[in-house]
Amino acid sequence: MTTHSSMLALGVALVATASVGAILEGGQQTPMPSVYTAAQAAAGRQAYTENCAGCHMADLGGRNEALPLAGPNFMGTWRNRSTRMLFEYIQGTMPPGNANLTDAQYLSIAAYLLQSNGATSGTQAFAPAAVLIGAVATGQAPAGATAPSADAQGAPVAGRGPGGGRGAPGAGAARGVAPAGAGQVAGGARGQAPPSGRGAGPGRGGQAPEETDGAPAAGAGRGRGGAPAARLGVTVAGEVKNYVPVTDAMLRNPDPGDWLMARRNYQAWSYSPLNEITRGNAKDLKLAWVWPMADGAGANQPMPLVHNGVMYLINTPNIVQALDAKTGNLIWENHVGPEQSVGFGSMRNMAIYEDKLIMATTDARLVALDARNGNKIWEAVVGDRSKGYSNTSGPIVAKGKVIQGLQGCDRYREEDRCYISAYDAATGKQLWRFNTIARTGEPGGDTWGKLPDAMRAGGETWIAGSYDPDLNLTYWGVAQAKPWMPASRGNSVFDSSLYSASTVALNVDDGKLVWHYQHIPGESLDMDEVFERVLVDIGDQKLVFTIGKAGILWKLDRKTGKYIGHKETVFQNVFDRIDPKTGVPTYRADIIEQKIDQWISACPSTEGGHNWQAMSYNQPAGLLIIPLSQSCMEMQPRQIAQTIGSGGVGAGRRFFEMPGSDGNVGKLAAYDVATMKEVWSREQRTPFLTAVLSTAGGVGFVGDLDRTFKAFDVKTGDTLWQTRLSTSVQGFPVSFSIGGKQYIAVTTGLGGGSPRDVPRTIIPEVKYPDKGQALFVFELPDKK
Amino acid sequence: MLKSFEVKGLKMTRTTVAPKVGLIRLVGLVGLLGLVGLSVAAHPAAQSGKTYRGRLAPVPLTTAQLSTVAGSGTVSAVLSGNKVTITGSFDGLKSPATLAQIHKAQRGTRGPVILDLKVTKNTSGTGGTIGGTFEFTPQQVADLEKGWLYVQLHSEKAPEGNLWGWLLLQENRR
Repeated sequence: MTTHSSMLALGVALVATASVGAILEGGQQTPMPSVYTAAQAAAGRQAYTENCAGCHMADLGGRNEALPLAGPNFMGTWRNRSTRMLFEYIQGTMPPGNANLTDAQYLSIAAYLLQSNGATSGTQAFAPAAVLIGAVATGQAPAGATAPSADAQGAPVAGRGPGGGRGAPGAGAARGVAPAGAGQVAGGARGQAPPSGRGAGPGRGGQAPEETDGAPAAGAGRGRGGAPAARLGVTVAGEVKNYVPVTDAMLRNPDPGDWLMARRNYQAWSYSPLNEITRGNAKDLKLAWVWPMADGAGANQPMPLVHNGVMYLINTPNIVQALDAKTGNLIWENHVGPEQSVGFGSMRNMAIYEDKLIMATTDARLVALDARNGNKIWEAVVGDRSKGYSNTSGPIVAKGKVIQGLQGCDRYREEDRCYISAYDAATGKQLWRFNTIARTGEPGGDTWGKLPDAMRAGGETWIAGSYDPDLNLTYWGVAQAKPWMPASRGNSVFDSSLYSASTVALNVDDGKLVWHYQHIPGESLDMDEVFERVLVDIGDQKLVFTIGKAGILWKLDRKTGKYIGHKETVFQNVFDRIDPKTGVPTYRADIIEQKIDQWISACPSTEGGHNWQAMSYNQPAGLLIIPLSQSCMEMQPRQIAQTIGSGGVGAGRRFFEMPGSDGNVGKLAAYDVATMKEVWSREQRTPFLTAVLSTAGGVGFVGDLDRTFKAFDVKTGDTLWQTRLSTSVQGFPVSFSIGGKQYIAVTTGLGGGSPRDVPRTIIPEVKYPDKGQALFVFELPDKK
Repeated sequence: MLKSFEVKGLKMTRTTVAPKVGLIRLVGLVGLLGLVGLSVAAHPAAQSGKTYRGRLAPVPLTTAQLSTVAGSGTVSAVLSGNKVTITGSFDGLKSPATLAQIHKAQRGTRGPVILDLKVTKNTSGTGGTIGGTFEFTPQQVADLEKGWLYVQLHSEKAPEGNLWGWLLLQENRR
């Protein structure tokens, strides 16, 4: 759409506004004229499918943080707001972090949403106006109705999507104009190029494969890749030479030079025993090689695996590559699919076992590839994508079982619910399930108040668990109940809602629950407790540590689940008290008394005191080094219809800096595992977006939103070396060695949920390119 | 160094002197304090002469509000007796400032207005200073001590609030 046509549309809008305004001011129950055309809605449906459905779902029912866009839950929020507010909200914020569709697309999407909520089409093209959406949807203008001129309370954070880069000056495109470079493939010849079929356009999601033909899709015209659509399956053939199968013994005691699983060992330490890089020489680190990764169609947050000199890397969307870890040469590549965006579109980790590389896909499948050549060996369905299930993290393998979590369990279903499940590594056959949401008649089934079973949602397991071979237990964090706030769920903070917000310890053989510890009974503010479970032994004590969004570091006995201690790592005002003997928190009074539509303040925000960026346990120093964030929010519970297919998170959010933080959103701190005392901390304006990697050389590594990747002294937090990369540094740094030489690998990435959304809101001055996802490998200079 | 403070009508002088002389004077001072111990206990901050500081940053917002809610600043409150002097500055608003007030609420939550501050704007109105001097009640002193007071600045395009920041002792930030 050109500027002139945009102005014409606005002119039409003003005329329409005037006429509708006259109707409203007349104070009569008057039939509403239609405000969009059928052709406009049809175009809107196409644009929605391409740009929005990956998160909000094809049926507009929403999923997780992507709120529903049709039905009573949508109308509950938007009924008394104007079509102008809807249009401006979509135009200003969607897709998250990359709101640069054309005006025509935004207008048509708004028309499609109105159509989907009951409004009838006519001859008048849609133009944003001061008319209430409730009136448009019902076709009746209520007497005396006027639309507010501005939404002082703030429009809801209506959805999340992939992509998510903040455009650096010149990196984005003016509205309606394709950016320079769109349609060009970054990289060089095949074999050194980024994944085939992916263009160099801004990192964003939702592109349908047919849009990668270099020509703008209908109504699009920006940021599309220029290469032909990639076929699924092996796209680059090759063979890993001298492949050594990965055994159970290797997983239990990994070779120091390997990185074979999520966070490297079963104990989830994110720690490498390599020690060539030290406090003394870290300043000499230099780039060894770089590998451009796919841009778009999901959040890039990967953790590479390294085995015997070969790196396995997962790109968005569901593209797996094997690389020579010394040179960066591509060995093989498989486009496992789906290629379109699904939810956040991230995939954090994979597993390797015997001859198989085992990955979860964003559409909730498990796929085993031959680690030697990338050919598919088996595939299993974890959850039904059509019902909203997805995955953002992959499995762990224990005793020949592939153990996998599940994401996207926030919608009300008759039979389906969330679970952790195990599969035979040889065949993909499902072996057991553990349901994370207790139903009537089951243990914990009486903890959901009066909610019927079908209205008990949430309990996702979106971070890979850990494993104690000696105890034969696997430890997983379970996410909060959904919707987020009890006022929306239809119960109270006193309904603990098991096994949400808990650690569960499962017998690896049969998936039976051995113990659970619920960190936040009746969780109320998306204070997710799903993250890493770190297993540490102190003398005879067998401990498990974890930390959630509330920023409370928990210490439990991992044999029994008994509470041992806790440490508040950032300011929090959600709980007035945490019982020092039991760890049971007491909510602030106004949180207990929450009511629909009333905003409630909370520190931390959904960005979390801690989020998916895993901590590291540095065994020599006895320290847990934790990436933390300092932000706060207000959250507003929405009325959520208790009908099958409804659900979601059901809340609006507004963010602000954490008082007392001096605007430092990022915090990196170390805690003594014995005393739980903070040994050191470092704060900075921008948040850390990578896990922490620490090494036996006494050096830690972490990256941040502002493109900085640094090495620090694990004992003091002092920076030893730093460099700036192509875009925000995001993912899980790993260390490996080849021929005795130690390497450090880290990815840059875009996209994600609250760890991206909150900084986008409260530190908008931080700029970074909206493309540039890559893998960087660092080394010390060769000894002379 | 002499510093005056008042406790329930008693004007007192806190003295910093050489150690030996200081010890004698300190004994006397402790005795005097003992006489008014209950009063002092009721005003633990009154003798502190402490400075409370806050960063002014945008109020809770969504990305859709970034075009109207922006800016930053600093504010400090110096407590001397029950006299509180508040000074601050701000910049970078998207529209001219309108008013500034002190509110009472637990850190990170909203609460009612208790006092008005004076706003002095620069030419554009999007930057300037805030200030005021007040005689605090014992309750207000106690609220300041525990970090339950915040300053909120409003602007034309953000009439419900533009910047806010809690007045905190440095050691109480965590």
